[in-house]
Amino acid sequence: MGNSVMGDLSSQMRAALHRVQDWAYPDQIDHETYQAYMKTPHDVGGEPDAPALFEDKEEEQWELNTFVTCEVLGWRGIWTSEERRRIGNVDLGRTNYLGLPYYGRWLWAIARVLVDKRHITLGELIERVSEVRDRHAGGTGGPIDAAPRTTGDIEAVARNRHHLDAVGKGDPQCFAGTAGTPGFAVGDAVSVRELPTIFYTRTQEYLRGASGTVVKVSYESLAPEDEAFDREDQESEWFYIVRFRLADLWEAYTGCANDTLQAEISERWLRPAV
Amino acid sequence: MAETDLDGSGHDTHQHAGTAPMVEEVTDFEVLEIALRELAIEKGLFTAEDHRRYTEHVEQLEPAAGSRFVAKAWVDPDFRRLALDDAIAASQEMGIDWLHPTGFGTPSDFTAFELLEDTPTLHHVIVCTLCSCYPRPMLGMSPEWYRTPNYRRRIVRWPRQVLAEFGLYLSEDVEVRVEDSNSKHRFMVLPVRPDGTEGWSEEQLAEIVTRDCLIGVALPKPGVTSNATRPLHPAIRPVTSD
Repeated sequence: MGNSVMGDLSSQMRAALHRVQDWAYPDQIDHETYQAYMKTPHDVGGEPDAPALFEDKEEEQWELNTFVTCEVLGWRGIWTSEERRRIGNVDLGRTNYLGLPYYGRWLWAIARVLVDKRHITLGELIERVSEVRDRHAGGTGGPIDAAPRTTGDIEAVARNRHHLDAVGKGDPQCFAGTAGTPGFAVGDAVSVRELPTIFYTRTQEYLRGASGTVVKVSYESLAPEDEAFDREDQESEWFYIVRFRLADLWEAYTGCANDTLQAEISERWLRPAV
Repeated sequence: MAETDLDGSGHDTHQHAGTAPMVEEVTDFEVLEIALRELAIEKGLFTAEDHRRYTEHVEQLEPAAGSRFVAKAWVDPDFRRLALDDAIAASQEMGIDWLHPTGFGTPSDFTAFELLEDTPTLHHVIVCTLCSCYPRPMLGMSPEWYRTPNYRRRIVRWPRQVLAEFGLYLSEDVEVRVEDSNSKHRFMVLPVRPDGTEGWSEEQLAEIVTRDCLIGVALPKPGVTSNATRPLHPAIRPVTSD
């Protein structure tokens, strides 16, 4: 069990509606049910949960290796970190999102992007996984490591523009001056649009429809909806840090009336407050 | 499968008997990780040297940089002003270059950094409800609990209750401000310098600025120089530094 105080099975026995008929008919899915299915699994803010014991965890060697591989793939222009977040935190679906270890999902994202972007075939991956397993069939007997057979041609690989354009500037600084005049200023009252969720966003569900105040005009950047799909052809836009009253976000908020929350939101999601 | 060590005492649950190294079965994650790294190198996506260099970068990151940053902001008004105005420039001044090690920063952390200034009536706490965004160049790798759905679900809705679970009880005259680090900015808390530290050196002050204080789940206190002890879940094959 990932969290020791969550391992008490008898407290977790619960009723569930399992329909004998899989694949509901279209007329059986109303808007609310549809929204529940479409909600991106990474967007967990405000979901009810029980108090837990907050734990530390020792890092596995493969976890560090996985993190580093993800970062190096960004460094060398194979993906941006937003593509990784989309693939590893959302695309894999709710069951795997909540079931796999944290870095297990990072690893899943590497496999997915390498196959999707045609750097490797799925056949190659399947054969290599099988071969590595056979290599260690007698047990590990100590540290294990990668043993590449060859070194590939660096020049022959398709890479993004970002990993070159951002050098010496940083990200989001590499987008500075590309989004024109900001539509909002510090002090503006804004509302978060209630746009539908399809595939990916970084505008949390718990903020949709809420009103707050702009406290910082942050930077220009591609929106996550574009960056997560490697759309370097798209226009960048302004981002804003918006302050909300917690009592405006949650019905029957149990803290104090002046408690607040801030989040950073792209311009497409904001409108002048209604 | 290793059980969590509730005493937080380390490897007790996983000690190997005798002197001979225990032969353990390779895990599915290890197999997949090795297969992918081998293929990526063979295809020329990156080199083994790239991987080694980036690993070295990660292994030298530690929260002590954030502690020194806050201590300096407490004693040096010019640095404090710079830190609040341009935290990237202030980082640079104390030897932390956010553009490292790629020339454009660490791909997952970006290069926008902001300090959240606490006052006697305002307390900040940081979360990323969508994943686990965290200022790695300043604080190193995030703690496990910070990444959990449990922390992410509850801190934005029941912040006072969750902070109490960390042992931090805030009175009603203190505004709680939750920073949901959901985009490219990374954040760190600048706590209020506690009473009883008058005349302390920067080094002494840095010792009480623990990682938990920099996330906002604890307050600095004279005499407290480490995070609260938590249960430690041990690794099967932990990171080896060689």
